[in-house]
Amino acid sequence: MTQVLFKNRHPDRIATMEEYRAGGGYDALTAVLGKYPRSKVQQLALDAVLLGRGGAGFPAGKKWMTVAETAPFPRYMVCNADEMEPGTFKDRVLIHTDPHQIIEGMVIVGYSVMAERGIIFIRASYENAARILEREIERATTAGFLGDNILGSGFSMKISVHRSAGRYICGENTAQINAIQGKRANPIQPPPYATEKGLWNLPTVTHNVETLACVPHIIRNGPEWFKSLAAIPTAAGTKLYCVSGAVQHPGCFELPMGTRLSDIIENHAGGMQAGCAYKTCLPGGASTRFLPKSLYDIEMDFDTMKKAGHRLGTGSIIVFDEKTCLVGATLNMMAFFARESCGWCTPCREGLPYMRDILARIEAGDGKPEDIPLLRQMSKYVWNSYCALAPGAASPVESLLTYFEDEVQEHIHQHQCPFSSKG
Amino acid sequence: MIPEDFKQQLQQHIAGVEHPREKVMDVIFMLQDRFGYLSDELLEDAASLLKMTPLEVEEIATFYEFIYRRPVGGHVIHVCDGVVCWMSGYTAILDHLRGRLGIDFGETTPDGRFTLLPTCCIGYCDRAPAMMINRKVYGNLTPKRIDEILEKLGWDITGKRDDTGSL
Amino acid sequence: MPKLIIDGRHIEVAPGVKVIAAAEQAGIMIPRFCYHPALGSAGACRMCAVKFLEGPVHGLQMSCMMEAKDGMVVSTTDDEAVDFRRFVIELLMRNHPHDCPVCDEGGHCLLQDETVSSGHVMRRHIGKKRTHRDQYLGELIQHEMNRCIHCYRCRRFYQDFCGYHDFGAMGSANRTCFGRYADGPLENPFSGNLIDICPTGVLTDKPARFKGRRWDFERAPSLCIHCSLGCATIVSARYRELVRVEARHNPAVNGHFICDRGRFGFGFANHSNRPHHARIAPAAATYADALQAAVNQLTEISRTFGSQAIGTVSSSRAGMETLMALKILASAQQWRSPSCFQDARQRNAVVSAVIRLSPDTAVCLHDVECSDHILVIAADPIAEAPMLALALRQAWRDGARVTVLDPRPVSLPCEYTHIPVAPKQLSAVLQKLMNALLSSPDTPQFPPLRTSDDAHNAGTVSSPSCDPKPDTALQLPLLAASLQSSQRPVIVCGTNIVSGTVVNAAADLVMQLRASRKNAGIFNILPGANAFGAAIASPDGASFSEILTAIESGEIQALLIAESNPVRWFPDRARIRNAFKKLKLLVALDYLPTPVLDVAHIIFPTQTHFETPAVFINQEGRMQQTSMVHCNGMPLSQQTAGKHPPREFRHDVPGAGAKPAWQVLLELNAALSAVNTPLPSYSELWEQIEQETGIAIDRRPDSDILEGRRLRLETQVHLPETPPPDTPPPINLQEDMSLELYPVESFCGTEELSAYAPILCRMEPMPELIMHPSDAAGCGLTDGGMVTIQSDAVTLDVRLKTAAGTATGTAFLPRHRQLVWRQAGSTDSRASLLQK
Ligand SMILES: Cc1cc2nc3c(=O)[nH]c(=O)nc-3n(C[C@H](O)[C@H](O)[C@H](O)COP(=O)(O)O)c2cc1C
Ligand code: SF4
Ligand code: FES
Repeated sequence: MTQVLFKNRHPDRIATMEEYRAGGGYDALTAVLGKYPRSKVQQLALDAVLLGRGGAGFPAGKKWMTVAETAPFPRYMVCNADEMEPGTFKDRVLIHTDPHQIIEGMVIVGYSVMAERGIIFIRASYENAARILEREIERATTAGFLGDNILGSGFSMKISVHRSAGRYICGENTAQINAIQGKRANPIQPPPYATEKGLWNLPTVTHNVETLACVPHIIRNGPEWFKSLAAIPTAAGTKLYCVSGAVQHPGCFELPMGTRLSDIIENHAGGMQAGCAYKTCLPGGASTRFLPKSLYDIEMDFDTMKKAGHRLGTGSIIVFDEKTCLVGATLNMMAFFARESCGWCTPCREGLPYMRDILARIEAGDGKPEDIPLLRQMSKYVWNSYCALAPGAASPVESLLTYFEDEVQEHIHQHQCPFSSKG
Repeated sequence: MIPEDFKQQLQQHIAGVEHPREKVMDVIFMLQDRFGYLSDELLEDAASLLKMTPLEVEEIATFYEFIYRRPVGGHVIHVCDGVVCWMSGYTAILDHLRGRLGIDFGETTPDGRFTLLPTCCIGYCDRAPAMMINRKVYGNLTPKRIDEILEKLGWDITGKRDDTGSL
Repeated sequence: MPKLIIDGRHIEVAPGVKVIAAAEQAGIMIPRFCYHPALGSAGACRMCAVKFLEGPVHGLQMSCMMEAKDGMVVSTTDDEAVDFRRFVIELLMRNHPHDCPVCDEGGHCLLQDETVSSGHVMRRHIGKKRTHRDQYLGELIQHEMNRCIHCYRCRRFYQDFCGYHDFGAMGSANRTCFGRYADGPLENPFSGNLIDICPTGVLTDKPARFKGRRWDFERAPSLCIHCSLGCATIVSARYRELVRVEARHNPAVNGHFICDRGRFGFGFANHSNRPHHARIAPAAATYADALQAAVNQLTEISRTFGSQAIGTVSSSRAGMETLMALKILASAQQWRSPSCFQDARQRNAVVSAVIRLSPDTAVCLHDVECSDHILVIAADPIAEAPMLALALRQAWRDGARVTVLDPRPVSLPCEYTHIPVAPKQLSAVLQKLMNALLSSPDTPQFPPLRTSDDAHNAGTVSSPSCDPKPDTALQLPLLAASLQSSQRPVIVCGTNIVSGTVVNAAADLVMQLRASRKNAGIFNILPGANAFGAAIASPDGASFSEILTAIESGEIQALLIAESNPVRWFPDRARIRNAFKKLKLLVALDYLPTPVLDVAHIIFPTQTHFETPAVFINQEGRMQQTSMVHCNGMPLSQQTAGKHPPREFRHDVPGAGAKPAWQVLLELNAALSAVNTPLPSYSELWEQIEQETGIAIDRRPDSDILEGRRLRLETQVHLPETPPPDTPPPINLQEDMSLELYPVESFCGTEELSAYAPILCRMEPMPELIMHPSDAAGCGLTDGGMVTIQSDAVTLDVRLKTAAGTATGTAFLPRHRQLVWRQAGSTDSRASLLQK
C-alpha cells in the first residue's frame, strides 16, 4: 500500500525535518516559489482533484481561484486543526507523524493566493500537537522555508498557532474566522465568502490539515500520480481513514481513496472485536448517517458515498456491533451536538436539545409511539438551520429511524432499553 | 492583581499582533495556567490588556469549554464522553473516578485538588476510553490505570486523604 | 431592478433588497424575530421561512437572507413553510414561560402574536424550562432573561448599531443569555430602544411597569421636544398620567430609534408640582378672575407707563401656536415683541442658522447617515442632539469619515478625528479651511453671499490670539483634501457655544463645496425643540439680557412670560432676582413648576404638547405636529395618593385647570382689546399664522404630518437680512491666563424638561468642570479634585475633570440642574478658580 502522508510514520516518534527533506520534503516549495505562476499551482490542485478533507469535499484549487488577483492584502491562510468531529483523529495522527508536510502545504497554498500570514487553529485537547507545530514552525523558519523572503523568492509568510478553548462549532470555517478574531464563534453565512472577506475582512483561505498535507506531494509528483493513488478511477489520492469502536485494532490508516469499507474494517482494523458482530457504522464521523448493512462493501470516497445517499465526511469510521444500543449511541451524539451548538439559530439551539430529550426518554423507556414521527419531522426541519452543524447532528437520528426503526420501536414497546446491560 | 513581570509578558505577547483581541484566548490560557481559573479580577485585567470591555471578554470566556470562570482544583479531570468512549466503557470509568475521588461532575474534592468535568470527544478514539488532566491526555483507561494515574498525582486511592501532598 | 412575485403579487424592488423587505413593500408581513429593518438580517430565528417556487433558488429558504432576484416566485403561505414556522414557534416556546397574563410585554408582544398566528396551540414539551438569573440593568430597563428567544436583536443593536460594549451575549448553545458582565446601569444613552426592539418581554420599560396594558392606554403619535431634532414618538397615557414613550418610525429624522432622554424625560408632564389652577398670588383663583386681574393690571400699566413698558418672553420649548399667539398679542397691544433667546449671541447664532438654510443645503438626519464625510463644528452631539451621534455612527459604519472641530473633549460612538479648537478661534480656523479648499487647483469659487459680509469676519481674524495652533493648522489641509474627495459631505454646526460668525462660516463652507459640485449639506443644531420657530416668530426680539437692562432702567414695568424659564438658563441669578423684584407685574403661563411661578403675580397653568396639538419646527426646518394623547388634569395617582379607585366622585376632571398657552394669550388679547375681538379657534389661529409667516399646517386628510414636512425655507421665512452683531463670549476665568468658561449641555442633567423627570434626575452624572490638563496645572488644580469658581456674585464648588481633548484656554461647565452655575456671574464678569 503506497504510503504518502504516512511515509515517515514511526510508531513512537515524530519524523524530523531532516527525514522529511530526505524524502523530497520542501522540494515542492523550492520548485514553486517565485517560479510557478499562482495560477499554475491552482491548476495542479484542480487537475489532481484534491477535494477538501475537512468534510465537505470542496475542490481545493477552485477555492484558491476565488481569491481575486485584485483582492486586498494582507491575505490569510488558515489551517483547520480543530478536529472536534467525534470519531475523528486523523489530523492529530498526521501532526504527530510528519508535521512539515503541513507547513510546506500551507506555504504553497499561501503562495498560490499570496497570503502572508498563516494561522493554525488547533483545539485545546491537542496541546501536544500545538507544541509540536510551534517547534517545527520555528525549525522551518530557521531553515528558511518560512519567514521573510522564503528561499529568496520574495514571498514571505509567517505561521502562528492559535489555540482554541474547545467548541465543535469552531471547526466550521466561518465560525473559526470569528473565533480567531476574538469574537464569539458564530458562523457567518455567505455572501461574502471568506475567500473575499474573512479574517479582519480580508481574503482568507481555510483548509483541513490533511488537505494541506497532500499539496506538496501533488506538486512534486503531479496530478496524474495523485489520481492514480486512488482505488477507483473516479477518486484521487489517498485518504486517512480513522477506525474506532468495536474493532480489534482501532487506528488511523492511509489507504487509497475509495477503499472498500469491508476491506478497511477487516484487513486494516483487524476485524470486529472478539464476540462482536458488525451492525452498522458511521462512515465519516458523528455527523454522517448510519450505514445500512447492505452498504458494508461500499467504496469509501466522496462521490460513491454521495451517490449512495451518504457522506464520506472526515472518513472516520465508527463501528457499532450488534450489542450496542443505537438509540443510546444516537442520544450520546445528540447530547454532544446540543452542547456544542453555538446558540445562534433556533433549530440548532432549541431543536437539538429537544431531540436529545426525546431520545433520552425513549432510551429510558418512557418513549411514546408519536415520538418517532416527531423526531423524523425534526430531523428534517433542523436542516433549515444557519450552518451545517444541525443537519450533521440530525443525520444519525434520521438514519437511525430509517434503518433501525425496529430498535427504536422496541425501546418504546418494551418500555426499556433492550440493551440495558450495556452502555 | 497580575504581577508586574507577568503582565509585561502578556503585554509582549499581545504586542505581536495588529489586533490585540486576536490574543484573547492565549491571554486567558496564560492567566488560567498560572492562577488556576479566570477570576473576575483576572478577567478584568485581561480586558484592559486587550483593550476590550470586561463584557467582551466574558462573551468569549463563557463560550468555551476549557475556560474556567469558577474555581477549579489543581488537577482538572475531563472525562471524554464522546460516542466511542461511551461505547468502550465510559460509564465504568466515570463510576470508578467518582468513587475514588468522592465527587461528581462539576465538583471539586474538598481539599481543592481535583475537579471532575465531562468533555466531548477529545480525538483519542483509537485509545478509548480516554480522559484529559490539565490538557494532557490519558487513553486506554481501565480502573487499574486510573488508580495509577491518581496515585502518581498524589491521591491516596485507599481513601485516606493525603492533605500534606503538594499540588 | 429585480421583479418578482410574492403570493401572487408582482413587485419590483431596488437591487439588494431582501425578499422579506420586498414582501413588506407589497404589503405582506412575513413573520420574523431577528430581522429588523434598521439592524438588517441575521438569519438566526428562522421564522421568516418561505417557499421559493420558481427562479434562481428553490425550496424553503429564509426570506431575510435572500436577495430579491428577477424571476423569483415566492409563497409565504405554502404548507411546508407554514408548518416549518409553526415548528420554529414550538421550539421558541419550549423554554418560554407561559405567563403572558402577567408579562409586561403581554398585548404588544411579537412572540405572542406570532405564536397565536402560527397555530402552535398545544404544548408537547415535557419537563422543566430553562431558567436564568435576571440582572439589574439600571433604572430604565427591566431584565427577564427567561423570556428570551435569542433573536440577538439586542446585542446587534447595542454593539453593532450603537457601538457600546457593556451589554452582549454570554454562554453558548441553549445556555446563551444576554446581559452585562455584572449588574449595573447600561452605559448606552440609546439603551431604551432595547425595549422597542426586543420582540418579547426580556427587556421592558421599567418605569412603566405595572402601569397598565397596551390596550388600557390612550396612545397617540407625538414628538420629542428634548432637543432640536424633533424625533418621532408614540406616547401612552393612562389615568391622566403619561406612562411611556416609544420611538415612532420617521425615516427622515430618527429612523426607528430615539435616545433615552427623549424616552424617559417625560416626567415633567406628570410632575407633582405642576400648576393645575390659575393663581393671583398668593392665592388660587378661578381662570376668569385671573384673566380679569391680568387685564386690569396690564391696562393700568400700559396707561401709566406706555405700552412699551410691557415686555414679553417665551422660549424655544414653546410650540409655534404659543409663540405666534404671543407675537399677535404683543403687536396688537403694542407691547415689546417677544424675547425668545438668552442673549444676543444665541439669537444671532440661531437666526444665522435659520437664514443660511436653503432648500438646497438643508439635510435631514437620514442624509447625515448617507454622507461620506461629516465635519462637526462646535457641537457635542451626544449632549446637544443625541440621535445625531447615532447617525454619525451609521455613516461611519458605511465608510464615512467624521471630523470634529470643537473645544470640548467630544466623545462619539464611532471613529473620528477630533481637532480641539477654542470657540474664539473657530471662525479663523474655518477661514483657513476655506482657504485650503480654495487653494486646491481647479476649484471654482462660490458666488459671494449676502451674509458673507466683512462684518462677521472682522472681529475674530484680526485678533492675534485667535490664530489656530500649529498642529491644527497642519490638519486643515488634510481635512480640506478629504472634504474635496468626498461626494456627499455634510457640515454639522452647533449654536451653543459660538456666534453667528461661525454658523455663517460653516454655511459658506457648504456653499463652497457645492460650488465644487459636491452634494454638500448643512445640518445645524439649535438650542431647543422650536428654536427654529422662535427665530421665525421673533427674529428681532430683544435678548433676555436686554430685557433685564430695560427692567433695571425702569423702561419695562410688567413682564409676561409664556412657557419660558429664564431663571434656569440665564447666567446671573442675582440679577434676575433683583430685576423681578422691581417689576410691577409678572404674569406667567407655564406647565412646568418653574421658579418664575414662585415669584409671578398672576399664573396661568398651560397644557403640554401631550394635551393639546402643538407644532414644532426642528433644526432642519421640518414642521411637525403633536397630537393630543390625553386630556389635561391631575394624574389619578396624585389625586388619590396612590389609592385606587378614587373615593371621591365628581363631575369635572380633577386638576384640569390648564388651557393651551396660545388660548390664554388670545383670550387676554381679546379682553384687552377695546373693540370686540372675536376669539380665534385653533384653525383660525393657523390662518393668521399663515398670513403672518407663510407657514401653514396641512389639514388635508392625507397630510404628511406624521413625518413632518420641511418648510419651503426661502419663501416662507421672513427674517432680517443681516443677523445682529456678535456679543462677547462668556465668563472669563483667571484673568491672568485668559481662560474662558462656557456653560454647555450634557446628555443628562442640563436639558430643561428632562430635569423635571425623576428617573433621569436619579441617573444624571455629577457635574464636572472640564479643562485641559495643562490649563489645570497652570491654575494649580488637579484632576478629580474639588475646585471653587469664585466671582463677585457667588462661590461655586465643582469637581474638576481634566481631558486632553479640551482646547487650551477654555473650560466647560454643564448647565447642570444640580449646579447653580448661573450664579457664576454675568456674561461679562470675571471669576477665579481655586483648588479646595
Ligand atoms: C459544524 C462543523 C464543524 C467542522 N469542523 C471541522 C473541523 O474540525 N476540521 C476541519 O478541517 N473542518 C471542519 N469543518 C469543515 C470546515 O467548515 C471547512 O469546510 C474545512 O475546514 C475546509 O477545509 P477543506 O477544504 O480542506 O476540507 C466543519 C464544518 C462544520 C459545519
Ligand atoms: S433579549 Fe430579546 S431582543 Fe435580545 S436576543 Fe433575546 S429575545 Fe432577542
Ligand atoms: S427573520 Fe429571517 S431568520 Fe430571523
